[in-house]
Amino acid sequence: MLSSREIVSILDMLQSEHLDLRTVTLGINLLDCVDGQPAALCNKIRTKIRLLSRNLVSVCNRVGDKYGIPVVNKRIAVSPVALLGAPFTVPQMLEIAHTLDDTAAEVSVDFIGGFSALVEKGFARGDRTLIESIPQALAETERVCASVNVASTRAGINMDAVLLMGSTIKEAAQRSADRDGVACAKLCVFANIPQDIPFMAGAYLGIGEPDAVINVGVSGPGVVKKAIDRALEAQPGMDLGQISELIKRTAYKVTRVGELIGREVADQLGIEFGVVDLSLAPTPNVGDSVGEIFQSLGLLSIGVPGSTAALAMLNDAVKKGGAFASSHVGGLSGAFIPVSEDLNIAEAARLGYLSIEKLEAMTSVCSVGLDMVAIPGDTSAETIAAIMADEMAIGVINHKTTATRLIPVPGKSAGDKAFFGGLLGESTIMPVLNGQAANNFIVHGGRIPAPIHSLKN
Amino acid sequence: MQKVIISVLGQDRPGIIAAVSRLLFELHSNIENVSQTSLQSAFAGIFIAVIPRTLAWVDLEARLAAVLGPMGLQAVVKPMEAGPELPPPPHEAFVITTRGPDRKGLVASITAVIAAHHGNITNCQAVFKGGSDPNANTMIYEVDVPAATDQQRFFAELKARGAELELQVSIQHRDIFEALSRI
Repeated sequence: MLSSREIVSILDMLQSEHLDLRTVTLGINLLDCVDGQPAALCNKIRTKIRLLSRNLVSVCNRVGDKYGIPVVNKRIAVSPVALLGAPFTVPQMLEIAHTLDDTAAEVSVDFIGGFSALVEKGFARGDRTLIESIPQALAETERVCASVNVASTRAGINMDAVLLMGSTIKEAAQRSADRDGVACAKLCVFANIPQDIPFMAGAYLGIGEPDAVINVGVSGPGVVKKAIDRALEAQPGMDLGQISELIKRTAYKVTRVGELIGREVADQLGIEFGVVDLSLAPTPNVGDSVGEIFQSLGLLSIGVPGSTAALAMLNDAVKKGGAFASSHVGGLSGAFIPVSEDLNIAEAARLGYLSIEKLEAMTSVCSVGLDMVAIPGDTSAETIAAIMADEMAIGVINHKTTATRLIPVPGKSAGDKAFFGGLLGESTIMPVLNGQAANNFIVHGGRIPAPIHSLKN
Repeated sequence: MQKVIISVLGQDRPGIIAAVSRLLFELHSNIENVSQTSLQSAFAGIFIAVIPRTLAWVDLEARLAAVLGPMGLQAVVKPMEAGPELPPPPHEAFVITTRGPDRKGLVASITAVIAAHHGNITNCQAVFKGGSDPNANTMIYEVDVPAATDQQRFFAELKARGAELELQVSIQHRDIFEALSRI
């Protein structure tokens, strides 16, 4: 028998603390669609996605209704398109992008990820063609997301790829200049990309994954913030060990929701269940913010001294609670700090509490990286590449995933506002040091070798 | 041996369960189940016990009255009927919660919809402190909904009835509460 206190406490989590399942992402392996003819490849892609995902949205909605917990986003991640279209030209790659976009619209998913290449050690022919086609593909499509893995702990950092991505990002921004460079919001550059991320824009289906798999991403920053607020109101003298324990317990509950719903969706679709991604993912809504948690913990704003320590504690507690709640954990698993997608973090950027340098420091203790950061439109490709190289180095040396989603907003400068719309949010453009000057380090190119794993310091 | 059901009702006070169980022990009876609840200052308890064939249930009722009467309690004893031989039909367990301003007839109105759709209430907790604070007036029903019931229609009717009564109605599968509350 459930106690009324248990029931009322859970209802509060659902109704006033924005507890939802952020995404159910269906991974689809498209390698069996490979064909020498682009039209035939696109036909096979369309058929396979339609077949596997035709019931995805309706099943997610039905299961969400059953438990009273909305599945906010339904998405698809596919095999890296650089592999599928390896022999093709740029126009043919674009045809694949449009096929993915049209099919995603047909099955009513909001994003489809996997317009991706893995180039940490070097480029194959298809990788170069795919990267060349990314700006146009992202500018012309609505739902396609792209990712490029340019570094790994085992391979080092492909600095040629980093530099190429700098100019790719500039071009993507230019091609969507009328929408503040929104194409860049659908492009992630990674170090150590996981094969099973359910969150966009980094989701793709790795080659070690099953033919089809359901991965889910949980959410819950609002739930964590309210739990901290309630506990501190009742017991203002709580120390950080006790607060960490509280976050852990809350993360456990949030993750159980993901596990329960994800497994039921997978069962009903007859598709294998993959992982729960234990991430605190904000949205641009009041009460659904990771930034607000910093204030609940006693900081003036995210970005002020103490923020990295607070984030380290938060991230670790979320992982500990979540890992106990789920049988299989994967993806990015950590707190996200996407500037434009979190009202509170965007406000910290506007007020000057948060700089790119502080964000970079914080990404050494959480998942993702410099995420949804709007920078001045005249930032050079070399500087963008240099920012990415710094972020990749954090990931490679610390054996963790890091990524960047940088948006050089065309025609706008530091302090101006950029608007991306919907879940992508809006943000004040952050200043960049050495934005236009030459960067001879980056243009050396080559590959920074993989790090040594003994002699840790 | 025969199985009886004993209900005890009255003002709550220490020693009620002890008094009933002591008497049953003295009468060579065996308690199989006990459930008790206290609402405000009222006590209600149900005992299922196996008593010797030589002890008539009416005599047991008299013995209980002698013990419990001075404590301000009433006891009723009935022979236990055999349960249904067939297992219950397939069903799913949902938790239906309402919150909203207090008024007369809330329980009757909501349970009428549940009954009309053959939902079996397995647990019910309601607190009405009066006034318009929704959180002060809560009903929680755990309901087994038969597989044959049209869930969408049932839930839509519940929500509509809730709206008429200015109640916020939440309907969730029981598993979500189990998953979040229990390890």
